[in-house]
Parts: sequence; C-alpha cells; structure tokens
Amino acid sequence: MSALVLISVLGVVLLYLGLFGNRGLLAPVGIVGLLAAFVFFAADWQLENALFAGLVQFDTYARSFSMVLIVVTVLLFLFGIDYYAKVRENVAEQYALMLFSLIGGLLITSFSNLIVLFLGIEILSIPLYILAGGKRDSFRSGEAAFKYFVQGSFASGFLLLGLALLYGSTASFDLPAIEAHAVSIGTGTDMLFLLGLFFTIAGVAFKVAAVPFHFWSPDVYEGAPTLVTAFMSTVVKTAAFAAFYRFIGHMQLPEAVHTMLILMTVCTLFLGNIVALRQTQFKRLMAYSSIAHTGFLLLAFLGFDARTPDVLFYYLGTYALATVGLFIVLTLAKRAAKGDEHIHIFRGLFRSNPWLAIVTMLLLLSLAGIPLTAGFVAKYRVFVLSLANGYLLTTAFAVVMALVGIYYYVIVIREAFTPGERGLQLVVAPLNWLVISLCGIAVVALGVMPGLLRM
Amino acid sequence: MIVALLLLIPFITALALMFLRPTQQAKNVALISTLASLGVVLFAWSAYTGGTVIHYNMDWVPAWGLRFVMGYDGVGLLMLILTAVVFPFIIAAGYGEKLQHPSLVNALLLFTQTFLFGVFLAQNTLLFYIFYELSLIPVFFFLLYWGGEHRRAITVKFFIYTLLGGLSLLFGIIYCLGQGAGFNGDFATIGALNFPLSTQIWLFWVLFLAFAIKLPIFPFHSWQPDTYAMAPLQGTMVLGAVMLKMGLYGIIKIVLPIVPQGVIHWQETVIVLALIGAIYGGIIAFRQSDLKRLIAFSSLSHVGLLCAGLFAWNSYGVSGSLYQAFAHALLVVCMLYISGAMKERVGSSEMGAMGGLKLRTPRLAALFLLVLVNAVALPLTQSFVGEWLMFAGLWQVNGWLAFAAVSTIVLGAIYMLFAYQRVMLGPDKWALEMTDATTRDHLVLVPLIAVTLFLGVYPGPILDLVDVPVQQLLSSLSLN
Repeated sequence: MSALVLISVLGVVLLYLGLFGNRGLLAPVGIVGLLAAFVFFAADWQLENALFAGLVQFDTYARSFSMVLIVVTVLLFLFGIDYYAKVRENVAEQYALMLFSLIGGLLITSFSNLIVLFLGIEILSIPLYILAGGKRDSFRSGEAAFKYFVQGSFASGFLLLGLALLYGSTASFDLPAIEAHAVSIGTGTDMLFLLGLFFTIAGVAFKVAAVPFHFWSPDVYEGAPTLVTAFMSTVVKTAAFAAFYRFIGHMQLPEAVHTMLILMTVCTLFLGNIVALRQTQFKRLMAYSSIAHTGFLLLAFLGFDARTPDVLFYYLGTYALATVGLFIVLTLAKRAAKGDEHIHIFRGLFRSNPWLAIVTMLLLLSLAGIPLTAGFVAKYRVFVLSLANGYLLTTAFAVVMALVGIYYYVIVIREAFTPGERGLQLVVAPLNWLVISLCGIAVVALGVMPGLLRM
Repeated sequence: MIVALLLLIPFITALALMFLRPTQQAKNVALISTLASLGVVLFAWSAYTGGTVIHYNMDWVPAWGLRFVMGYDGVGLLMLILTAVVFPFIIAAGYGEKLQHPSLVNALLLFTQTFLFGVFLAQNTLLFYIFYELSLIPVFFFLLYWGGEHRRAITVKFFIYTLLGGLSLLFGIIYCLGQGAGFNGDFATIGALNFPLSTQIWLFWVLFLAFAIKLPIFPFHSWQPDTYAMAPLQGTMVLGAVMLKMGLYGIIKIVLPIVPQGVIHWQETVIVLALIGAIYGGIIAFRQSDLKRLIAFSSLSHVGLLCAGLFAWNSYGVSGSLYQAFAHALLVVCMLYISGAMKERVGSSEMGAMGGLKLRTPRLAALFLLVLVNAVALPLTQSFVGEWLMFAGLWQVNGWLAFAAVSTIVLGAIYMLFAYQRVMLGPDKWALEMTDATTRDHLVLVPLIAVTLFLGVYPGPILDLVDVPVQQLLSSLSLN
C-alpha cells in the first residue's frame, strides 16, 4: 500500500520538479523514491497483504514481480540521466509517465479482481501511448504512438468484452469465484464462460505480443524512443506476463482454451524466430526476438505446476536484465552512427570498445541461451517444465526455434567482433557504463549461480 | 585437487593473457601452462588405480536437483591424457604462425583447453552438456578472427551446425531427467533408465545427432571440410585432434548407457553410414590439390572408421576405436604441423605449387615420411594397432563391413603417398634457398613421432587404461 502511494506521489513530485525547472533532480529523486518503494516491498516480505477490500492481493508472487519491475525501472532511470541530457522539453513528463505506467504494472501483478486487471492494464497502457510518441517532431514516433493507441484500444475492447462475458457467466469479478466456477463446469461446456476466457486472454496476449496479437510490436518498438522501447520490452512485458499467469495460472482451463494456448505458443515461437532472421534493423530485431521470447514464456505456461511461477520469474527477470543492457548499447551506437539502427553500426565494436563488446556478447549469448549465462538456465527450466508436463513435440519444436534464435543473435555478435575493422567510437557516460556492466555481470552470475534469483 | 588444477591452470592463464596482453611472452606463458597441465594429468595417470575417481560431488542448485560432479574413469582419463599431450604441441605450432595479437590467440586456445578438460571431467550429463557447448565459444571467436577466406559465413555455419546437435542433445537429456525415476543426471545412475524399445529407437537419434555432427559422420559432415580448410592452423588442430573426440566420448558416456537397445537397433545403420563417410572422405581426399583440405578429408575418412569401430560394440572394436582416437589426435597434429611448415616455406599449401622439396629440405622430408607411415597404418605404428583392432571388431559383426573398412586403408595409402609425391618428389624447381627443418620443427615432430612409434610397438599402457571400462560397458550392453 505504502509503496503504491509512494510511487504515485513520486510521479506528481517529478511533474512539479519539471515545472520549476529542476531538471537535474528528476532522475535522482525518481531513483531514490523507487528504491524506497523497493524497501517497502522488501520489508513486508512474505506477508499476505490484501488491499482495497481484497481487490488487490500482495502475496509473495506479486511482491517478487513488483520488486523486479521496480529494479528494472531504476536501471532505466539511471540510463535516462544520459538519455535525456540533451532533451530540452517534457523530460519530467516522461519520467512521471513511466512511473504511472509502473503503477499499472504493479496493480496487474497483484490483482485478485478482474476490475483491477482492467484498470491496471489501462493505467499501464495510456501513459505508454503518450510515451511512444515522446519525440514530438519525429514522424516515426508519431506513427508508433498512433498505431499503438489504435490497436491498444482495440485490445482493451476485447478485454472488456471478455470480462463482461465472464461476469455474465459467473456473476462475479473475483478471481477465486471464477476459478471455482471453472472447477464446477468440469468437462461440461459453458459457452459464455468459454468466450469470456477467450476474449480476456486475447486482451492480455496483446500486451505480451503473442501471435496473432503481435502486429503492433515491431512498428511501435522501432518508432518509440529507445528508452521507451526498453521500458515496453522489460517492465511492461514482465508485468503483463505476471498478470497473464495470475489470471489463468490457477484456473482449470477448458480443453478449447488449452488448445488455443498451444496454438498460440507454436505460432509465436515460429513467427518471432523466423521473421527475426530477416531483420537488419536492430530495434526490429529486438522486437521480433521479444516476440520469440514470448513464445518460450508461453511454453512455460502450458504445463501448470508448482514450479511455473518461479520459472516465469527467473526467465522474465534475466530477460529484462539482458534487454536493458542491449538497448543502452544500441542507444550509444545509434548516437555514434548519427541515427542509423542497422546492425552494421556494431561492426568492429570489439576494436573500438573491447569491454562494451564483451558485455554485448554476454547479453546476446544470454538471450540466445548459451550455457553459463542466465538465458540458458531460463530456457533449460522452461524445457524441463514443458517436458515434465508431457508436451514432447511442442518442446521439440521450441528447441529447434531456439536454434534459429541463436543464429540471429550470433550474427550481431559476429558484427561486433568482425576483425580488421575499427568500429564507431562510442561515447560512454560513466553511469551507462555502470549499468551495462552490471547487466553483463548479473547475467553471468545468475547463469553460474541460478539460485540467487528466486521468488 | 587434480580436477581443480586442470580447470584452473589453463583458465587463469587464459584470463591473465587476455587482460595483461604480454605480446612478447604470450606463447611462452601458454606453453608453460599447457606443460603444467600435462604434468598434472600424467600425475593423475600414475596415481590411477582403476574405477571411477570422483573428486567433487556437491549440490549446485539443490532446489532443481542440479549437481556438480567431477571426476574421471579410464576412458575419461585417456581423453584427458590426449588433450593434455596434444595442447603443448598446438601452442608450439603457433611459434611458426604470424597471427596478430598472440596473447588473445593463446588465451582462446587455453579457454578451449579448460572447457575440453571440463567435458572429460564432468560426471553429470548436464555439466557435460554445459562444457560441451562452452568449448565452442572460444573456437568461434578464434575462427572468426583468424580464419581464412569466407570466414564470416563458414564460422556461423559451423557454429549453428554444432549447436543444432547440442540442442538436440539437451532436449534428450531433459527428456531423460523428466522421465527416469532415480536419475539426477549423474553418470553413476545413467544406466538405470531402462526406456522401452520404442522410446529408445527415436531417443537414440536425438542423443546421437550431437555426436554425429561433432565427429562428423556422413551425412552430417558438410560443415567440416570448409571449416578445417578455412581455420587457422592451430584452430584446425584443436578441432581435428581434440574436439571431435568429444563426440566419441559422448557416445560412450551418454548414448550407450541411456539407450543400449537403441544402439543395438541402429548398430548396422550407423556402421554403414560411417563407412560410407570413410570411403567417400578417402576418395575426395585423393582429388584435393590443397594439402590442408586433403588433411580435412583424410580426417573425415579416419573418423568414419573410428565411429564404425566403436559401433561394432565388442571389446576389439571399442578399445581399438579409443586407441585409434589417441593415435589420430597425434597424427592430425603432425600432419597439420607439416602442412604449416610447408606453407611457411613455399607460401601456400597448394600442392601443385610444391614439388621437389626433398632436395631442398631433406630433414623435413624425412619427418614427413615418418608421419606418413603412421597415417597409412604401417605395422609398428600406433595407427596399425588401432585399425587392426577395429577391423577385428568389425569382422565379428559382418565380414563385408570389415572388408569395406579395410579398403579405406588402401585409399589412405593412395592419397597419402600421392600427396607425398606431389610435395616432396619430382624435379627441383626452386631457385631460392630454403631453410630445412629447424630446431622448433624437430622439437615438435620428433617427440610426437617417438610417441606414435613407441605406442605402436608397446600399446599396453593405453589399452590397459580402457580395458576395464570397456568390459563394463559391454557387459551392461549384453545384459540388455
């Protein structure tokens, strides 16, 4: 409770700071506030904490995800100091909007009533529509904002329809009541309930960019300012997945919904990985790689057992670390290349910035899932989970897709380590250097000692 | 202690080389490090009394049942000896190469050695897999940076090809972890899985694919010739001498214990494929005009034979295959070293450009001939022992298969002698002065040749080492 209030007030404080022209204070105040919120969460650790008459349930699951969301936001704020250094206008608004969006994220990781799910997703999304259009004089940014807004509203419509149908069928928005209803149906059919589930899942699947609800993501990722892209692919994705699992994790799903999930997983894995092969723009590559990772995460969804939340938590946490680091490297390289985003801008990075190249390699290897990085452990656990639940062929397919994934990450590594050429001279601010190194080291440390990151 | 030393000596040296960049001393430092590892391995050999020696056995991530188990048995020790013996010579071969950034080159080689030791020390399938994949990464960068023409495309092809096998293996391992009661991935409990035959039939290929690509056997070999030819000399040495032995080792330690019935079911298929590769490699080798490509295809031929011998699954075949693995490692290093020495003198490894070198470099010609007799498996050389055992093993399976296997020896003699003729014999067409074999050439080649001749006359030490584990393997096979 205190953390939620703190972060909301923090956003308003940042807005006022911006109003009075204290630009230098924005990020530091934001970071201190977020760390305080983190401490609030950590201090209440392990206590079941129901808020707003049980609409929100801050259990261990919600708390763990909330803490990851806050940590990733702190990393992005640290990056923001350099990122917004040359921007004249509306910096405070951008920080504040990210905080408001984070509030939405915190709500949907902890909801126990579907109204809160809807509210949370809207609170999460509306600031994002504005943030995606953050570069007001950029055509691409405007396009991204518009596309995101139109498609996002559509998804919200789906979600709302789904929730209404669920209410119609169960006469309750309470998650436990709906779960109980699902059990009472058993093997029988309840069309209203089925459609409700279907539309609700579609609404949430839009947020995690699962195929076929992924169309917005490459364009929005590409057009949005890089910091916002990083925010979307880490904080938003983590929160949306946490919500997704919270919604269906304990529900006895009808066979049809289950089949739909399998289909969605297979399509997401296939499309994300195969289309990523053809990408030459790094941001689009990251967008499709993000879709591909959605596929692996959905695979963990298929078989529900006691391990699933922890597997998701580990996967999302390590994915966020690697992604934040890579987006910072991208921003630096893009700056040196005067706005170019082609993967060629990484060429020869090893000669011009050896340490940066090594960290970039570690982060990419982690996304690719090579042993001794956190990404390997994450994928390994997903495969263990899905095989243990009997999805033999789906897992085999995912393994093949993991191989395809390795290819496009290795291509980027190859660019960075192309011999003989001296790459662009990147200007790395000390704070950025720190964040990137932190991500790189964390990815290896969590790969060697995976026990460190658990719920 | 031995395990820790083997992993830490090369690893720490590699880190030091990478960060301190002692350009002048890099090769010396690396050489000392590999010699120290060799000392440790020889000590381990002298102290080895049989059975499986486990040095570490502890929990890694208790919550998920991951364990950290390191040790070795007779077969593992043989592979450790092989790796430790070959690496000093690989480093020494670098003295003749004018590669840029010698400290990075040697650091990458030592990283590879660390991970290879890891593969052969791992007593847990997942650890095995982790080291198996890791060993690829330094090699990837080595090839990418110091490779020859088309390195960018070939390196990625090599990497993806090998990872395809790796991921297939991972899938198989995870499947086993999920299925077998009482199986936590340790080699000690691996035999207790007992899958039904219908499962073993498909699971065999899932597990075997990784090693079939690594070796490689026909038809999974298409990455190999290009990669070998493009790689810098030391890279080819590492790939051909040591890394492909991981495939052999993996078949013995993982595929056979998990799917014994599957192995028997597919035995003849694999032997036939391997022999097709052996004969095909021999024929293509004959047509090569580049010495390094010739060695690449001859390696394909030899490896086919190794795999066929192994899949005879009798004591002759398996010990012959392991013995020959050792012989092949030394042979590959010798052959490649000579091709490097020739290139150093003539400027290319194109055989058409050579000829008549015997008159200019008589000592080198003599050394080449001594290596060559080993390559064509003349009696009293190490290869003769290994190949004879494999033929005897194959004969027990099927006379015709043994016949096909023997024909590779004839092919080998043809292409090797033809190569010698083109390189060394013929009229002297070289106007310029050319240095004969240097002290360094002698220091590398003479010990290696001495070892091959010694073990050719007295194969006892190596065969004793693998005898007990091989008998155990075969008895577990016959029980099924």
